[in-house]
Amino acid sequence: MLTYSNVNVSYGGLPVLKDISLTIKEGECVAIFGHNGAGKTSLLRCSVGDVEGATGTISYRGEPIVRGAVFMNSRRGIGLVPQGHNVFRQLTVRKNLSVAGLNSPGGTLEEVYRLFPVLEQRGNQIAGSLSGGQQQILALGMSLMTKPSILLLDEPSTGLAPVIVNDVMDSLRQINLRGTTVVIVEQNIPATLKLVSRAIVLKAGRIVFDGAGGDLARKEDLWAWF
Amino acid sequence: MEYILTIVVLIAIFVILSSSYNLVIGYGGLATVAHPIFYALGAYTSALLGIHFGLPAAICVLAGALVAVVASILLALSALRVAGDYLLIASLGFQLGLLQVIKNFEFTGGPGGISAIPNTITGPWRTPAYLLICGGIAALTVWLIARIVHGPYGRAITAMRDEELAFSALGRNAMTIKVVVFAIGCGIAGIAGGLYAFYFQYVSPDQFEVLHSAAMLTMVVLGGMGTTMGPVVGAVVLIAIPQAITFLNLPPAVMAPMQGIIFTTLVMLFLFLRPAGLVGPLSRDRMAGRTALEKSSGGVAE
Repeated sequence: MLTYSNVNVSYGGLPVLKDISLTIKEGECVAIFGHNGAGKTSLLRCSVGDVEGATGTISYRGEPIVRGAVFMNSRRGIGLVPQGHNVFRQLTVRKNLSVAGLNSPGGTLEEVYRLFPVLEQRGNQIAGSLSGGQQQILALGMSLMTKPSILLLDEPSTGLAPVIVNDVMDSLRQINLRGTTVVIVEQNIPATLKLVSRAIVLKAGRIVFDGAGGDLARKEDLWAWF
Repeated sequence: MEYILTIVVLIAIFVILSSSYNLVIGYGGLATVAHPIFYALGAYTSALLGIHFGLPAAICVLAGALVAVVASILLALSALRVAGDYLLIASLGFQLGLLQVIKNFEFTGGPGGISAIPNTITGPWRTPAYLLICGGIAALTVWLIARIVHGPYGRAITAMRDEELAFSALGRNAMTIKVVVFAIGCGIAGIAGGLYAFYFQYVSPDQFEVLHSAAMLTMVVLGGMGTTMGPVVGAVVLIAIPQAITFLNLPPAVMAPMQGIIFTTLVMLFLFLRPAGLVGPLSRDRMAGRTALEKSSGGVAE
């Protein structure tokens, strides 16, 4: 579904991703782990054409992604939930969802409300006044409004209490079960491994592990990569 | 009485100008200082068409707006790919460069400007008529901007301004929205320029210097950036205050610096004490403070 071939990224001469080649298959739920600066966010941003100077090939369903035009890749079905700043804080929850859904007619709002009832309950609340967990749920809901085939998430558990992290992971599981491919970049390994079937570990821009989540959990020297 | 009415006409023109600047910088979040040059393009185009072709004033003003729109799109397509400091610098270069062109061409009157712009309305009702026209267009501008920003497109503008990557990731083309907002704002500034040219019948480059950006910014900040009525209040206060100072009979050497000091002091006071401006709600001050705090600490609300 999403294929990376020999992808390299460097910022100001400093290499961040080195010769990355991998394939994300339809319907998979994949986690990407790594220490700070390992290249996780760059890999996600490459996937939507948001990194200038990336070399190599990234293709989505056999067609190369459009570089420098995040919105065009989104319209093709690649959803991205960036880290942190992913909701429009000055707008109400309902208006956030309506902005997200303007390019995707077909009434997915009801589906989003069914999946996340809290968004309907908080419809008139300003998004900036929601809790961090609710903002994350809203960001997920907004992304679903675009009917993505694959959903890329950049550290959705950052800054959230453990109980809220479980809620977010449950939501992602439901999204994956409904047929959406999920790729999640995370630092919270234990919580994420409960969700994913496959894990990839990046270290200094290279893939050092790519296998089943259970295999990664059983690795005794796991923490040497972080 | 004529003097007072002239001040009110000037206020109406600056309501148009500051409202259009607010659309660009307040709602669109596009940090530009080039707004005076689009005002100038409207004024010069209208004046030259009126003088050389004798076209009706309305046609000249609309043509001035069109030239401002075309120029704004040219700037937007190159400069709006960057943001923040880079956009500021690009707009500064555009403003200074184009003003130099105006100053150095013979047909624009050089540094001396253009006088003898046709008087389209004559007689004792000239100023009241202009007051109606300028006031009407100012009201129309405020209404139009309110319609834009409070509708679905306005929500998209706000979303694009606040979180561009998240906005693009939802399949929305941020660049198109930026160009449209910029073009609308600059086109309206062009209309303000045309009205100025026909009312005062004289335009010169020093009326469109980059320092006028500071005056427009002061109007927007003082009134309330990102509010519909803020620039209206800002324009009224900041045109009225300098005129009130003239009644103090101060020497010209003191007058000009004093106006500058007042503008600067007001901007600083409002930015620190009342960032939402005169019209913005108090809650927005708290929100602005909270957002700034979160952004500076890199944290997320919980």
